[in-house]
Amino acid sequence: MGARMTFGLGLNINESLIDVARKSIVAEGLGFDYVWISDSPSQLYGPIVAAVVAAKTFEIKIGLGLMSPFLHSPKQIAAAVNTLVDAYGPRFELCIGAGDRGQLEHVGIQLIRGEELTSKMVEAGEEIASILSKADCYEKIWLGAQGPMMLRIAKAFDGVLLNYSKPEMIEWAIREAGVARNFKIGAYVTSYVYSTPKPSIRKLAKGSAAVVALGASNGVLKRFGLYHKLRNARKMAEAAPIVEKILSQVPDEVMDDFSITMRISQLPMYLTQLKRLGVSHVVFGYPQNRSMQTVKELGRAISKLREM
Amino acid sequence: MRRADLNVGITTNIPMEYILKIASFVERSSAYGIWIGEYINRRYDIFSQASVVMLNAPSKTVGIGVTSPAIRNITTIARAAAALGQTAPGRFRLGIGVGGLQDLARIGTTVEKPVAMLRDASETLRNIWSGSTLNQKGKTFELRNYAGRYKLTEPIPLHFGVRGPKLLRLASRIADGVILSGPLPYIERAISIIKSAARDRSLTGEFRITVWLPTLIVGKRTKKQFAKVVAATVIADTTAEVFDLAGISEPAIEKIQRTARRRDYQAAARYVTEELLDSFTISGNPRQVCDVFHSTQKLGADEVVFGPPYGHPILEAIEEVVKTWARV
Repeated sequence: MGARMTFGLGLNINESLIDVARKSIVAEGLGFDYVWISDSPSQLYGPIVAAVVAAKTFEIKIGLGLMSPFLHSPKQIAAAVNTLVDAYGPRFELCIGAGDRGQLEHVGIQLIRGEELTSKMVEAGEEIASILSKADCYEKIWLGAQGPMMLRIAKAFDGVLLNYSKPEMIEWAIREAGVARNFKIGAYVTSYVYSTPKPSIRKLAKGSAAVVALGASNGVLKRFGLYHKLRNARKMAEAAPIVEKILSQVPDEVMDDFSITMRISQLPMYLTQLKRLGVSHVVFGYPQNRSMQTVKELGRAISKLREM
Repeated sequence: MRRADLNVGITTNIPMEYILKIASFVERSSAYGIWIGEYINRRYDIFSQASVVMLNAPSKTVGIGVTSPAIRNITTIARAAAALGQTAPGRFRLGIGVGGLQDLARIGTTVEKPVAMLRDASETLRNIWSGSTLNQKGKTFELRNYAGRYKLTEPIPLHFGVRGPKLLRLASRIADGVILSGPLPYIERAISIIKSAARDRSLTGEFRITVWLPTLIVGKRTKKQFAKVVAATVIADTTAEVFDLAGISEPAIEKIQRTARRRDYQAAARYVTEELLDSFTISGNPRQVCDVFHSTQKLGADEVVFGPPYGHPILEAIEEVVKTWARV
């Protein structure tokens, strides 16, 4: 039947550290295999959050990323991982990626494009891996990828984390990446899995999915017929921060492509589809982490899946 | 006179095994806290390391002394400090500085305008922490519609690790404290400059002067050789300005700096004289080390820092100094 699928919970780094730590303890107790801790320029520094989570939990694996080698140098990223591993043991995995172009521009970084970008990503991955192995540290390095150019360098890493949910898109991405069957494929997606939907949280899921869609590469959007549907919204988003007015321009069906928003009863079939495609790791992102209730709902669903 | 607060110093190239033991010991002891110095591009990330230290010494004050805005995006420093502030509310201090000259040279970085850099860094950090949305086009730290999505639970004291007179005066005016390192005659002059400049201070609140030299417990002649290597490391990173302030003009200094650049600190150590050793390190038995700490306290130091390199065995050396200081 193949290797067991692993499940992660993406933690919301905008919350207080105390709340993040509490949710990571609950996630571990519910049987999540991983928690993932992001690192974007406007949030708390990811490696410190990872240290706090590691100190408060026992054995749950901790994913760090996406970390951008354009925001931090590869040496700095490797040093963060080394610190965590030496202090808390080999519980960590790293995901690197270019990062959000707009967010990087906010902090004075102009992201390069095209082949120059992908070469730099490969170099960064190699440098980080080299530093870690010299330090006797062999944590996995994932690539956060979405568009065709980045997918084609995925094989230079230990795995690829995709940020869309639609099986058709994932299947396409795996073909583009051209990786072997045993290569690690993961999906780290906006999520809201529920027994009874709460409209306010559904709205948050739609908003989060829309943000991902608006930042998606032209290649992906064109390939799946989304480019024209999102053109107005993307134009508005270039000129101003993404707000309600812009999000309302994003069609509802986009949520299906960029989020796991479904009833608990639908989850087993969806995960089976992903597993057949070769996905071995699924990370449920915001707003699933919004409250203890939403975390526990998903956690109980996953526990039941494991019993099956 | 109130006794200066004794801290233990660590750096980003000390093995984690020792960092954890030192943090645990400090937590149980009468030491005030821990300062962490950054060697650029070594094994550990200073921010992650600080969080590990805080988690292992939860009741003690922990400070970064220092990290340089020349090697990181300013928003990374801001959000790392905010995370450390949340890890231990009210017990974190952030120190910034230009950075070690040798370290910066190795990565091909020079800081053309250190005064402007630290002034602008302070202003930018405090603005970010206050929750403002920043637009700083064409400035030292370019930001466009940037706002941090995190909150500070307590204000974060900002200390400067600086040496030259202009930077010392700047620190006195706009920082919450200063971390001084360099030859002892320089320390006296530096404190005097800081106190004179305090008249123009715009901030209210306490200003803390921390003195941090390489300190180690030595007894035998062979261990003095180790102390000389440490002294060579510091001398190699000391500017002419600091030597002038200290009134030190030994011909050996140029040889030490040249040898350190071309070969290594081990080779440079052979040129360290006894006078330079006494100026640039605090070494001896625990009582002798504490006597020198006491003398810096009389000059105006609010905090002193023991180690590295401590002496051997490391934990025993730290314990002896902490106990001796408590009895002074």
